[in-house]
Amino acid sequence: MVAHILQLKLRLLGNGFKRSTGQLVAVIIGGLYALGMVVLLSGASWATAEQNPFPGQLTIIIGSAVVLGWAVIPPLLTGVDLTLEPARFVHFGIDTKVLAPALVLAGFISVPAVLTFLGLLGASMMWRLDPAVLALALVSAVATAIMAVLVCQYLTIMATALRSKRRFRELTFALLFLLLVSLGPLLSSVFAAAESIADWINPISAVLAYTPLGAFAALPGALATGNMAQLALCAVLGVVYLVGLYLLLVRATGAATVAPPAQQRAATARGLGFFKLLPATPTGAVAARSLTYWFKDPRYALSILMVPMLPLIFWFAGRQSGEYTMMFALGPLIGILMGFAISADVSYDNTAFALHVLTGVSGKADRAGRVMACFAIGIIPLLLAATLPAILSDQLWRLPSDLGLSLAAFLVSLGVSSVVSARYTYAVPLPGENPMKTPPGNGLRVALTQMGTMGFMAVLLIPVIIPAVISWTTQSQVAGFIALGIGLLLGVGMLIGGVHLGGKWFDRRQSELMQAVMINR
Amino acid sequence: MNPIALDIRSLAKQFGAKVAVNNVSLQVPAGSFYGLVGPNGAGKTTMLSMATGLLRPDAGSALVNGIDIWADPHAAKATLGVLADGVRQFDRLTGRQLVTYSGLLRGMDREEVAIRTEDLLRVMDLTQDGDKLVVDYSAGMTKKISLATAMIHSPNLLVLDEPFEAVDPVSAANIRDILNGYVQLGGTVIVSSHVMDLVQRMCTHVAVIADGVLKAQGTVDDVRAGKSLEERFVDLVGGRATNEGLSWLRTSSN
Repeated sequence: MVAHILQLKLRLLGNGFKRSTGQLVAVIIGGLYALGMVVLLSGASWATAEQNPFPGQLTIIIGSAVVLGWAVIPPLLTGVDLTLEPARFVHFGIDTKVLAPALVLAGFISVPAVLTFLGLLGASMMWRLDPAVLALALVSAVATAIMAVLVCQYLTIMATALRSKRRFRELTFALLFLLLVSLGPLLSSVFAAAESIADWINPISAVLAYTPLGAFAALPGALATGNMAQLALCAVLGVVYLVGLYLLLVRATGAATVAPPAQQRAATARGLGFFKLLPATPTGAVAARSLTYWFKDPRYALSILMVPMLPLIFWFAGRQSGEYTMMFALGPLIGILMGFAISADVSYDNTAFALHVLTGVSGKADRAGRVMACFAIGIIPLLLAATLPAILSDQLWRLPSDLGLSLAAFLVSLGVSSVVSARYTYAVPLPGENPMKTPPGNGLRVALTQMGTMGFMAVLLIPVIIPAVISWTTQSQVAGFIALGIGLLLGVGMLIGGVHLGGKWFDRRQSELMQAVMINR
Repeated sequence: MNPIALDIRSLAKQFGAKVAVNNVSLQVPAGSFYGLVGPNGAGKTTMLSMATGLLRPDAGSALVNGIDIWADPHAAKATLGVLADGVRQFDRLTGRQLVTYSGLLRGMDREEVAIRTEDLLRVMDLTQDGDKLVVDYSAGMTKKISLATAMIHSPNLLVLDEPFEAVDPVSAANIRDILNGYVQLGGTVIVSSHVMDLVQRMCTHVAVIADGVLKAQGTVDDVRAGKSLEERFVDLVGGRATNEGLSWLRTSSN
């Protein structure tokens, strides 16, 4: 039975790649990249073994970070590969005593898990000087990796149970995402406050050594320093944590294979909402539908979330260096990112897009409606981001150029997105799925497309960037007004052109678009 | 009015090595209640997708009320209502919003859309659930709301892919009544189904398709030629297992 399930998992992994060559290529490139990182880490650990002043603490920190990463990122953010979700075995009536351990074991068959094992083993090379310690380090690396995968599996089951309540799902993800993104700047503030590495690495690793995160990782350090009491204590703690976790996990998996999480209950919305407020035309209807989705669909909510987050990150970064110039980039950045949010619109529709095809809505109405919704959502944050930095820093002369560049960025981005989304679809999370979930190997493709599109936008914006830069360097308000004028002209022109061109492509290719979104389901 | 509501001319589609629809020609007379039957994977959905503008055919054409849907899609789709199988709806909208959306997308004016939406919700027995999000609907309710989105512009031709799947008997009977009334008033309906009995009772015409090939078409009485439609279907399609079934499948064993 165990062998069957492991085989099934391998087969599923293989078939997933067979379905799309592009995905396989992306996974291979991503895998090679990660493998390169592993090799680099191992090499660095090997090379620095002789000068490393904190090998014990460092091992604890690395181990803890890996376990924490597994605990947080897959269950809450990226989502995990749920092809062997326990709930799928409800109907088979396999003895849970056999099934649960088999599923737990199958969880280790994944590219990230393999990389984690390799990475942790590689990092153990920092102990190469003492063979006895190295042997223990290798064992504890394996134990740490097992802990990481088990924690991830356990929390995933817990999160899945909670996630079936839609409201919970949508809210928490937004909040967690916000928290995680601001975590980086927060931590860097803490580190910057400490005088030296020793100031923070000692207390933090001392605490982590007794937690499930770092208990195993603390072993080689304890042996190397001859601290036998800590060695014994951490070993016992680690084994207790691991066994306890395994038992919990097997029980949870068993429970999930018997009784799947309950279905959510219904949500309601009174009346027609945006459909009542916007004009009763095809364009107005598309805009109303898009606006409803901007508010109701967490996948869109994530793009709005960046708006308050970017200033926060920039502010943190600025506080460390005492240099707040970056704040002036907020307007154009938010403009580009907000406008870019609709470039995946048709992909987000998924097969619901069939309604647009079947009703024969014109490409122009479809494009324009989606643009209107995004514009309505984005324009106020954009204006604030474009004007507030100048107003708060009392540099009013900057206003015209900041406004010009920001508005141009937003409008051009909307225009380019209108064309892009009429031609390209990506594999995005399906409606109702975890918005942070990415199909394997998709990240690279999306990153490439997005980099390409953004680069293209930057080129289109050159006529505005030149007067804007002149305005900033010479503090010239005249150049600023020129930037504003060119920005508005260029932006509106690009937007109208984009809607036209995108509409034309849409009219010609809507059945091909439909087939493209049908593949992703 | 055009005497042929849907004229399918030598439609063909190939996916890789698999020929999904092989040169099918089919005439659906205006005012008929047309059944399209065939085993799973016969190419029914592929053919209907090509006839309704969702999937571009490799060859052939489809004329909706005399207008080629691939040459002049806007005009053809204006008189066509489609219930597609296996596609999502914009399910973050409420049922009422979704039907309204479908009407407005077709350029209808607001008052007309509002009146028809309420009528459709009423006959589909969804008035109570009109303010619920479609994502929370059951499979049958989703089918019914999708049907409503296909009917709001009072098309001349309704193409319904598996309209009764997952629909409860009462709602199915209501939908049948609506469709019968619609045909009596001159509309044309095409339904695809696996349920032979239903097709025999409900439809005036029927076409049998298997392995992407049209096996028979005509009035139901012509096609079934004295047998029941189910028997005739099995004759045409073949594939009934003649050998003994699962000898071990009995409650006494084990």
